[in-house]
Amino acid sequence: MPDHFNNRVRVRLYQLFVEFGRCPTVAEVAGDLDCGVSEVTEAFKQLAAAHVLVLQPGSGEILMANPLSAVPTPFVVEAEKAETETNSRTFYGNCIWDALGVISMLQRDGRVLTSCGCCGESITLTVHDGAVESNPAGIVHFAIPARHWWDDIVFN
Amino acid sequence: MLIFRSEEHIDKWCQKWRLTRGATLSVEQTWRLADSWYRNRLSPDWRRRSVDEAHELFRSLGLNSEFWRLA
Repeated sequence: MPDHFNNRVRVRLYQLFVEFGRCPTVAEVAGDLDCGVSEVTEAFKQLAAAHVLVLQPGSGEILMANPLSAVPTPFVVEAEKAETETNSRTFYGNCIWDALGVISMLQRDGRVLTSCGCCGESITLTVHDGAVESNPAGIVHFAIPARHWWDDIVFN
Repeated sequence: MLIFRSEEHIDKWCQKWRLTRGATLSVEQTWRLADSWYRNRLSPDWRRRSVDEAHELFRSLGLNSEFWRLA
């Protein structure tokens, strides 16, 4: 399958994810692109093989469209609403890096609602005008060396 | 990648999960990494970075140690 089709699928997947505030299904992406479910399924597989996406085992649906998570996680992202929207938007990041990445990707202010990995105390990170603040203070730990990130991306 | 209240809490977590301590970043460093890594992800022109490009990005953020080597 040509790379340009895969990229079309990728771009539309992300656009729909942001528009819906949840991950679109394979069928929804196919319907939007007016193509077959099997074509989108194959594109997802190729994008996953290239470490662009992570799929749910068995169904072939999206698990991660980094930095976005298709399933709830302890990294809740509240993005400020755009001028055309009435409400703020809520997403889930795959980890603390990705949660901040969602705010960057959307190019809006926003907050990450999370908690200490050890004691569970709530921690809120606020991004405003390109600067981040943590309340209370926090420190980020990367447990897995970079060369092993994709060995078990779900754990990572 | 998780956030913790303190270095002590990272040590406790590593002991609990029997993991060697990895790398720590400040929240500000993590934000700069996330911003550099993901800012253009919605763009049709986005493509996955090569290993060399990723290393260059890490270096630009002061992440020079072996921990940040992808290959």
